[in-house]
Amino acid sequence: MTAPITLSVQHGVARVAMRDVAGRNMLGEAFVDALIDALGRAASDPEARVVVLEGLPDVFCAGAPPELLEALRAGRTAPADLTLPRILLDLPLPIISAMAGHAVGGGLCLGLCADMVLMARESRYGANFMDLGFTPGMGATALLEHALSPAVAHELLYTGELRRGDAFAGASGVNHVVPRAEVVPRAVDVALRIASKPRACVELLKRSLSLPRRRRYEAALTLETLMHTITFRRAPGAGADHAY
Amino acid sequence: MSHQTREEIERIVLTHLRRTVMQLEGQPIDTSLSMKDLGANSLDIVEVVSGSMRTLRIRIPRAELEHLTDVAGLVDLLHAKALEKS
Repeated sequence: MTAPITLSVQHGVARVAMRDVAGRNMLGEAFVDALIDALGRAASDPEARVVVLEGLPDVFCAGAPPELLEALRAGRTAPADLTLPRILLDLPLPIISAMAGHAVGGGLCLGLCADMVLMARESRYGANFMDLGFTPGMGATALLEHALSPAVAHELLYTGELRRGDAFAGASGVNHVVPRAEVVPRAVDVALRIASKPRACVELLKRSLSLPRRRRYEAALTLETLMHTITFRRAPGAGADHAY
Repeated sequence: MSHQTREEIERIVLTHLRRTVMQLEGQPIDTSLSMKDLGANSLDIVEVVSGSMRTLRIRIPRAELEHLTDVAGLVDLLHAKALEKS
């Protein structure tokens, strides 16, 4: 298998590309570890000023894999342990999400953790947690509100609708909605503009501009974890007691 | 919503399909083709099927939808479920 995550740094732009074709970039343990590792290496590269996070042409990220959802449901994993969003929010360099392909559930959260967001007109974006029997997690309640306005975020979180990218054109928190083939080139173009700035200034601005989102994320994760605890609370054997 | 004919159900499915796959708007649709062949991606298909089920107030478990290969098959399945319901 080829590495699911590749990193290249050129002209100050660190491109982190998620390339797990078979797994549709689902957030399994090994995949997330590799992604965190690549982001760390990108941020510690002295040449880098900005990170572009890319997916596959048709799938940016398909969210949590079934085994992770099962582990959450069974109480083997606490939602608060899933720290990937925090890694992105805390990264010293700004991140641009080039969401050319679909992004669903945790995959959409991943993309919306970035400081700037690009979507494809013809791809679909949604938060289908409730369709799977879960309340939203991964900071979705805060991340969607920030990027898509509370009204749109609430509709997507309640309905699980998979909405086409062109419907988000003009949404205040989405930087560009362009045809799929133009998403990555446009993201790299934005990145190149940032890459000419002094690294220390870029880092300071990221730290400062991301503060409201980091605060909201921590607050949201606290409530989402509480919701999950209530949703999944099962005393041993309780399932059998309620079977009918 | 009871006693819908197969033609009415086909019209509902095609309406959702045209609304979902932009390039099909105003175009004739060959229902012997799969939605994929008609230009729908995997998530478009989810939206067409769920939208059709909502319009018809019908729920079909995912497992029963998996073996469908063309639009006509979806219409047939929805029609059969609508008859069951009425």
